[in-house]
Amino acid sequence: MFWRKKGKDANGEVKMFFASDLHGSNVCFKKFVNSAKFYSADVLVLGGDLTGKAVIPIAEQAAGTFLAFQHGEQVKISGKDELDEFVKRQGNIGFYPAVMPESEYQRLKADPEEQAALFKRLVLERVREWAEFAAGKLKGTEIPLVALPGNDDFEEIDEILTQAAHFDFHEMQVCEFKGGYQMLYCGGSTPTPWDTEREYTEEQYVKRFAELLPQVGNMSRCIFNVHVPPFGTALDACPKLDKNLQVVYEMGLPAQVHAGCQTLIDIIKEHQPLLGLHGHIHEGRAKINIGKTICINPGSVYPEGILQGALITLRDGQVTQANLMQG
Amino acid sequence: MSVTDIGADKRIFLRKASGLIRTAGLGDTFIYNLGVVSIGLGVGSMLYYGPAFYPQGNLIWGCVIAGIAMAMISFGFITWTITLPRSGGIYVFGSRILPPALAFTMSLVEITAWLFYCAIAAYWMVILALAPMFAALNLLTGNETFLTISKTMLEPWATFLIGAAILLVSQVVLSYGMRFYLTLNKWVFILAMASTVFLIVVLAMSTREQFVTNLNELIGPSLGVPDAYNSIIASGKEKGWGEAGTDLWQTILMSNWPFLPLIGAAFSIAIGGEIKSVGKSQTVGMLGAVLVATVAWIITVWLAYKVFGFEFLGTAVFNVLTANGGLTTPTDPSVALLTGILTKSPLITVLTSLGLALWMWMLIPAMHTFGVRAVVAWAFDRVAPAPLATISEKYHTPIVAITATTVVNLIFMALFVFTPWFSKIVILIEAAVLAWSVVLGAGMFFPYLRPQLYEKSPIAGKTVFGLPIMTVGCFLGFIAAQFYFWTLFFDPNAAGHDPTQVMIVAGVFVLGLAFYYVMKMIRRSQGIDVTLAFKEIPIE
Repeated sequence: MFWRKKGKDANGEVKMFFASDLHGSNVCFKKFVNSAKFYSADVLVLGGDLTGKAVIPIAEQAAGTFLAFQHGEQVKISGKDELDEFVKRQGNIGFYPAVMPESEYQRLKADPEEQAALFKRLVLERVREWAEFAAGKLKGTEIPLVALPGNDDFEEIDEILTQAAHFDFHEMQVCEFKGGYQMLYCGGSTPTPWDTEREYTEEQYVKRFAELLPQVGNMSRCIFNVHVPPFGTALDACPKLDKNLQVVYEMGLPAQVHAGCQTLIDIIKEHQPLLGLHGHIHEGRAKINIGKTICINPGSVYPEGILQGALITLRDGQVTQANLMQG
Repeated sequence: MSVTDIGADKRIFLRKASGLIRTAGLGDTFIYNLGVVSIGLGVGSMLYYGPAFYPQGNLIWGCVIAGIAMAMISFGFITWTITLPRSGGIYVFGSRILPPALAFTMSLVEITAWLFYCAIAAYWMVILALAPMFAALNLLTGNETFLTISKTMLEPWATFLIGAAILLVSQVVLSYGMRFYLTLNKWVFILAMASTVFLIVVLAMSTREQFVTNLNELIGPSLGVPDAYNSIIASGKEKGWGEAGTDLWQTILMSNWPFLPLIGAAFSIAIGGEIKSVGKSQTVGMLGAVLVATVAWIITVWLAYKVFGFEFLGTAVFNVLTANGGLTTPTDPSVALLTGILTKSPLITVLTSLGLALWMWMLIPAMHTFGVRAVVAWAFDRVAPAPLATISEKYHTPIVAITATTVVNLIFMALFVFTPWFSKIVILIEAAVLAWSVVLGAGMFFPYLRPQLYEKSPIAGKTVFGLPIMTVGCFLGFIAAQFYFWTLFFDPNAAGHDPTQVMIVAGVFVLGLAFYYVMKMIRRSQGIDVTLAFKEIPIE
């Protein structure tokens, strides 16, 4: 959205585009990769939660038609064109369509373990597809795509993305970053009501940061790429859920809680890194200051096919531009 | 592809994963819209201005016409918000199809009008609810202090200071955050709704004879006539209030007054990103608010005519508004004052007056919020100064945008009180209706011009007469919005079109365009291309 036309690199300027929580949406990932050219970014930063949440079985019926589920309704699909269109649409909103005979659907429906295996296979297939797409689009450029895992991401994606061309995937590391900066990578999140793949208690976060912080050379030139946002801020406010994952209402209104990381905000207050990049709480779209540190959560509305992100310009150890955008 | 809702067999395999939770349900959406409609403000304004300005108009049919038109506009906006379920109102919609300068201008025009509405509501709280309440208490108790308070409240500086204080309370409420505001809003809604039901019950249980007797007893001595009721009517007719009758054109013009508050029924487009089951919630929330408000008004108007009498309502207000020296009540004959006279009960007077005030209050933070959200969106997109998007660390609210919009509210308040421009500035609402019609008009072409976006909409496959449902809905909305733009245009009492007013409308549009292009130039000098804010990143 905000595009500096001149003066890049020549004066040590680095422009990065940051997005998070794409959750399997093909259209959002393609937009993310294409944003490098669109916004003239030097680096693409992906803040975790690449993987999606639902498989949509498309069950072939005896008459050659297909039954599936969309927008809360069962849909009947006829013909190859309709099927291809339906499959594409599901991928774009972050779902994993799986065409199968009705009998196979009925078998899977009764077998949670088989469902989980199918899920993981489809998730990993899409991660590979994304890696290939990024490699194709960014080939010949010097634009890295850096990423870390979110709390929803299976451990198995690490190996795929670590080996992928043009993906610069890290977890629990402090690495050199373009322009003489450093990036601290810390994925996962604090515990959630969903008991997701990568969750850590506050005590574990204390240990994780104790491992990472000594690797930072100069905190004023360090970017924290930490999936979970700092606790008690505009970046981590979300509705409170009960044990059945239903929104808790108080006086007829949804109760709000903060779901971020206390350890993180304590560390940011104490060490004052240059910048904090966060995700996890899709509702927490905001840019705030914690002392001198600018912290950003671009939020996520991936099911709508709209990519929310932040375009950030660094120059001479300062954040000269940090703009939330939608594209 | 055909669709059936079989309910039980949800053919989807879910895994444990975190995600966005939308918090506003159907009930929240309905209450939000009905609160912005402000049934009480509608009752107060249409009974005040309707019979006075349109002696040959039929207010009940006016309510029906306005209700149908607003339902058509809502239909158009429902298709928009289902297709783009994001918060931000017409700025979000316009930015996806209109040229950037035009999309921004439509938003600026709309927000200017809604902030103007905040000031109107604060102003009316003083002159239509609070001051009449004290005047009625004076009549009922004989305590002159109440009359002094009422008259003092109507002094320009006092009106301004009370109105400004009300607007500053809105600033404080919004600064504490949406949760605090919505909690307060629900309680205010319950009390206001109860007061409306109470008013309807009081009117239903009363008779014309009762009102006339009480009015003559309480007002007669001060006017120096034994039959104050008929003397006021005779005085109004003598001073030029037209004879009652039936005229379609006057009924259409009269419908402007129920239409203006009904605009609030579509305000949930501003919080589209926070609503779950967006199709059902927005449809019921918008159309339900239109239906309930329209029915409540029809009942109240019918009862008010039965008890107070159409001619009395018309002449008493006519003599005040035209300052013709004719006989009338000691202060503005608002529904609050007349109910006080009717019941001769100080308690009922206070309850109905405060109920009216609460309805008017509901409009203020709701309209204020609408303005704040748009200003923050502009700042995010860099077409407004970046500090406007600053979030308070303490309250997590956009405190700078809230303050900036409060300042605009206060300026409008000052213009009402200290200048004769009120009747000129009211034209801004006409400009907002025009802005709505532009966005609804653009919506007709959205399925054809933005097929990649439209195909993701849950209504993408739905057609009416072979046309996309969005095209049909936005066409109906466009027609209704245009109808009311021109109805307001030809009504000098509700808006009008004298040269100054036309210049004000044109001026706001020019201001929007100028603001956009100045910001574009400033951003360009900073190396920023703001037009990218309005473009979708290519997929392939």
